[in-house]
Amino acid sequence: MKIKISRHYLYISLIALFLLLFVLVFAFGVLIPKGKEYRESRLMLHKENIELQKYQDFNDRVLEKLKNLQSNNRHIITAFDTPFYPQRFEKKHKVFFSSLKVSKISRIKDEQGFATYEVNTTSQMSSPKNFYDFLDALNKSDWIIGVNFPIDFKRDGEMIKSSFTMKVYANNKDKNSTASGSVTK
Amino acid sequence: MKYSYIKPRKKTAFTPEVQIVFTFFAITLAMLFLTYAFLLYKAYTFENEKKEIIEHRKELKANIARMESQINFIEKQKALAEKVFTQNMVLKDSIANLFDLVPQRITLSEAKLLKNGLILYGITPNKDVYNFMLQAPLRSIFHKTYSSFYPAKNGWLMFVSTNYMDESQLEELDSED
Repeated sequence: MKIKISRHYLYISLIALFLLLFVLVFAFGVLIPKGKEYRESRLMLHKENIELQKYQDFNDRVLEKLKNLQSNNRHIITAFDTPFYPQRFEKKHKVFFSSLKVSKISRIKDEQGFATYEVNTTSQMSSPKNFYDFLDALNKSDWIIGVNFPIDFKRDGEMIKSSFTMKVYANNKDKNSTASGSVTK
Repeated sequence: MKYSYIKPRKKTAFTPEVQIVFTFFAITLAMLFLTYAFLLYKAYTFENEKKEIIEHRKELKANIARMESQINFIEKQKALAEKVFTQNMVLKDSIANLFDLVPQRITLSEAKLLKNGLILYGITPNKDVYNFMLQAPLRSIFHKTYSSFYPAKNGWLMFVSTNYMDESQLEELDSED
């Protein structure tokens, strides 16, 4: 039996076959590997996003800790940054004494990485209570100041003459970065 | 010379069958190419996003490191400030205790507070008052106590009391601080 196919249909069939082959080769050779690659990339990106989120969460926690620390210790941070001026100190603390004299400041050996200055102080007061109030006020002052030994109290008529040294602590500009610096989120 | 009364039909290569086949493959190929273009676009955006994520992560790492160094620094400041504040308060209590220690009958003319000791100058009616009311409590605080007396013009005794603590005790106190 002879099958008669017209030339026209034969061409159509050949074109269809060629196109079908192209579709199959393109789909299996290019599209499916690319699709696999896409899926892997999406998974990897998802993992990267999760890791980034972890970093972001950690960053937020550290930032919150820093903000809390900064707000809770605002006085201390500012005090370490404030330069010490003897005249200003005298003006602020002479209310506790009949007279108060602070000598010129001299830099001594750094303590715990902080710049340390020593000042000699002489004062006159009517009662030891004035000295206690002065010590209370020192802890709330604009600087970090510790009263140091030796402390000398001497009777002078009805007054008490005192002389002592004080240590003033400040940020070491050469080494320390300022803690009150801005933080970008 | 005409062989037919009807006009001849124009022959075209785009027969309905060819049109159907081409339409079908055109749609199929369009879908394939669109999908491929979509995948290429996504690969490009993923790559960009990945670069951005890596960049952002680097920034976060640097930011975290900077904040942690600030936290360490503030904690260092806080520790030193608290130490200084505590020392001031301890000093205040020590001076208050010293003045409370001196009985009414003894008058101090000078008090020197040293890191490891205390030197008192004063006047006492007699040695017994000094020994019982001042030296006894001083002995309970300090390890070494030396006293010297010399007469005052009014018949009372002027005294110098020198009191020291052991170095080991001081080191212990320092380490507690």
